[in-house]
Amino acid sequence: MVGARRGIAKPAPDRVAWEAMLSGLRVLDLTDESGWLAGKILGDLGADVIKIEPAGGDREGRRPPFLHGIADPEHSLAWLALNTSKRGITLDLAAPAGRSVFARLVATADALLESFAPGTLDAWGIGFAALRRAHPRLVHCAMTPFGQTGPHAGFRARDLVVVAMGGNALLTGDPDRPPLRCSMPTAYYHAAPEAVLGILMALQARESSGRGDFVDVSLHECQLASLLGAPGMHATAKNPPKRSGPRTGRTREIWPVRDGHVSFGLRGGAARVPGLRALVAWMDEEGLAPGWLRDYDWERFRPEALDGAELARLEDVFGAFFAVHAMRELYEGALARRVLLAPCNDAREVIEQRQLRERGLFVALDYPELGAAIEHPAFFARSSAHATAIRRRAPRIGEHNGEIFAELGLAAAELEKLAAEGVT
Amino acid sequence: MPGIYADLRILELGAGAAGPVATRYFAEQGATVVRLESAKRPDFLRLLRIAPDDPRGLEGSPMFALLNPGKRSVALNLQEPEAQALALELARWADVVLENFSPGVMERFGLGAGRLLAAKPELIVVSSCLFGQTGPQRGYPGFGGQGSAIAGFNATTGWPDREAIGPWGTITDSLSPRYVAVLIAAALLARGRTGRGQHVDLSQIEAGVYSLSEMVVRCSASGDVVLRRGNRDERAAPHGIYPCLGEDCWIAISVFDDAQWEALVAAMGDPDWAAEARFVTGDGRRAHHGEIDAKLADWTREFGAWHLMAGLQQAGVPAGVVQNVHELLRDPQLAHRHHFVTLQHPVLGSLSHERSGFRLAEHPGGFERAAPRLGEHTDQVLGGILGLAPETIRDLVARGVAA
Repeated sequence: MVGARRGIAKPAPDRVAWEAMLSGLRVLDLTDESGWLAGKILGDLGADVIKIEPAGGDREGRRPPFLHGIADPEHSLAWLALNTSKRGITLDLAAPAGRSVFARLVATADALLESFAPGTLDAWGIGFAALRRAHPRLVHCAMTPFGQTGPHAGFRARDLVVVAMGGNALLTGDPDRPPLRCSMPTAYYHAAPEAVLGILMALQARESSGRGDFVDVSLHECQLASLLGAPGMHATAKNPPKRSGPRTGRTREIWPVRDGHVSFGLRGGAARVPGLRALVAWMDEEGLAPGWLRDYDWERFRPEALDGAELARLEDVFGAFFAVHAMRELYEGALARRVLLAPCNDAREVIEQRQLRERGLFVALDYPELGAAIEHPAFFARSSAHATAIRRRAPRIGEHNGEIFAELGLAAAELEKLAAEGVT
Repeated sequence: MPGIYADLRILELGAGAAGPVATRYFAEQGATVVRLESAKRPDFLRLLRIAPDDPRGLEGSPMFALLNPGKRSVALNLQEPEAQALALELARWADVVLENFSPGVMERFGLGAGRLLAAKPELIVVSSCLFGQTGPQRGYPGFGGQGSAIAGFNATTGWPDREAIGPWGTITDSLSPRYVAVLIAAALLARGRTGRGQHVDLSQIEAGVYSLSEMVVRCSASGDVVLRRGNRDERAAPHGIYPCLGEDCWIAISVFDDAQWEALVAAMGDPDWAAEARFVTGDGRRAHHGEIDAKLADWTREFGAWHLMAGLQQAGVPAGVVQNVHELLRDPQLAHRHHFVTLQHPVLGSLSHERSGFRLAEHPGGFERAAPRLGEHTDQVLGGILGLAPETIRDLVARGVAA
C-alpha cells in the first residue's frame, strides 16, 4: 500500500515510556468469532490478552476467506484482523490435563472472556461458580446470543438471527423486498464494546470491593441499541415503522451517482439549511438549478408536511445533479462548500480516504511467514497520555505456548507430554 | 444498592445521540451526569419531529428523553464569558468531561482540553466527533448518516442491484458511544493507577472503520472488496429472511453446516426436492442458493413466525423472528432480562426506556429518573455544586447567562 507505515505502530520518541490504559491487566480470551473484537479492544488498549484455542488450533474459527486463497487456518484473514494485540496458546479444556493447566493460568488472570453456550464451562467444572471459589477477584464475562437464562437462552443464533430478533433488519431494506442485514456481522460489532465496558465496570467495582463479578452479555440486547430508542418512541403508535429503502422517512438519503452512491439527507433543520443553500448555489453554477429552486425557502422546509408531488419535484432535480457527477467530485465539492454529503465508500475507498490516512489510522503489519504486509485500522481513538494502537499481530497457532506455559512454571518435559497427549 | 459509579461526576456538553448515549451507561450505574445545555441553541434532539407550535416545546421529544435518563440539566449560555467561567468551575468539579461538539467549539468557549487539563491534571476529557480533532477534514460538519457512509457500512448493506443504504439508524451513532464509554471506563482505571488524567480524541468514523477491521484487512491483503449482497453469506446456505403468515412478517434462517441442513430438511417433513444431490453439500447449497430460497419461502409462508422459530430452534436450526418494535416491547427474553424500564417523564408520561446489553450479577444498576427538562437542575447545580447564592443565580438567569 502506498504511503503505509511498516511494522507495529512505533510510538514517537516522547511516547516511548507511555503505558497503555489497561496495562497490567490479564484477560483470558476463550471466544469464538462473535467475541474476537471484544478481546481485541482489550488488547489494543494494553491488557495482556491470552487467546486460548482448542488443541491444534481453532479450525472452525480460523475461517475463510484465506490469504492468497490458501485454505489453511494460519491464512484466515478474519482471524488476523480481529485477534491483534493478543498472545495465543492452544489448550484442550475438555481434557482433565488441559483443565489443570487452565487452573494455573486463571489464577494469574483478572478477567475471563468467553462465548460458549450457557452451561458449557459448568459442565467442564470451570464455570463461574467453580472458578470464583478459588479466585474471588476474577471477572467472568460471558457473551451469548440471548443471555445466560430466560426462555431464549438455549436458542442458537449467529449474526443474521441476532440482527433480525433485535429489530434492525425489519427496518433495513426496500419496502418491496425482504428485510436485510449488513454483509459484515454488525451484531458482533455492537456487542464487543459493551462486553468490554461490562468487564471494565466490574474491574472498577473490584477496586473497592475486592471481589470479581459475572458479566452476562446478550448480543440480542446489545443489538437493540442500534435502534436508538425506536421501541419507546413508537410504543403507542398504531403501526410500527417500516423500511423505506434509500429514504429516511419520506425524503431521500442515498442517491445514485455516476460511479456509486452518496449520502445526503434532504431534510430541514437549522444544521442543514446552510448546506442546502450551498448545494443549490453549486447546482446553479453548473446551470442545473431551475428558478423555483434558487428561491426555495429552506428555513421553512418541513418535508413531513409536504405533499408527494413537491417531494418528487425536489428529489428529481437533486437526483439529476448527483447522477451526472462522480462520488469523488461530489465529496470534494461538498467539502469545499460545507454541504452535508458523504460518499458511500467501499473497502478500497475507505483505505484511501484522505482524512483517515492523514490521521495515521492505518498501520501495515508484517506477516513474514505469509509473505505479506497487511494494513489494519490501528486504533479507535487516540489519547494524550497513553498508547492506544495495535501492539502486536494476531498469534499463530500455539505461538506462545512455550512462553506462557514457562511463565506458569511448567517444565519443558511437561509441555512435551501435553503436546504428545493432544492437550495443546 | 448504590451503583459502581455512585461517586463519579461527569460533565457532558454536546447534542444528538453520539455523545449522550455514552454517559447513559454510567448514569445506569449511579454516576452523577450533568448535561450542560443551551436554552438559546438547544440540542437538536430536543426539537426532533417537534412542530414549531407544539405546546410541549423542548420537552416533547421522546428520542431525547429515551437517550438521556438519569441525568441532570444545567442551562448556561456559553456565548457569555460568565457562563464560560461557570462551565470551567463545573469541569473542575467533574472527574470526566465528555463533549461532542465540532472541533474548535470548546476552544472558542475557553474550554479546550489543554485549558481543562491545566486547571485539573487528573481530569479525563473525551472528545467525540465525526472526523476527529485533527486532519484536513476535522472541521467539516456532519451527521451520523455521513459517518456510516464514509466508514463503509453503506456499501456493505443493501441489494446488489439497488442503493447502498446502510443499516437502519446510522450505525456510527450507536457504535461510537460504546467506544466512548469504554474509553471513559479505561481512563478511570488508568487514573486510579497513575493519578493522571488525559484527553481522548475519538472519531466516530474511525470507530466504525476499526469495527470493520475484517473488511479493511481483506481488501488490503487480497484486494477483496466486500460489497452488499442482500442476506447472503459466504459460508452459510440457506442464509436469508423468508416470509411468514401475516403482513410484513418474516423469519431469519441461517444454516452453517450439514447437521443444521439435515435438521431443517427434517423440520420441513423431508420434501423430495431437498434430497436432490446438488443440495447435499454446503458448496452445492451455496451454488443453488436462489433455488433453495424459493422452495424454503414456499414452506415458511404457511407458518406464523413465532411458531416457526420455536419449532426450528427446537430442531437445532438457527432461526429468529424478524421483530418489529412492537414485538420487541413484548419479547419474552427481553422481559426476562428487564430490558425495558418504564419511567415517568414529566411531559411525555410513561416511556419504555432501555437498559444496556449486559448485566453484572452483583451490581444490577438501573435508572432513578427520566431525562431532565432543559435547565431543570440549574439551581441545584449552580447552588449545590458551585455554591452560588439564590440571588446570584436569579441575577444570572435575568441577564440570560443561565436559564
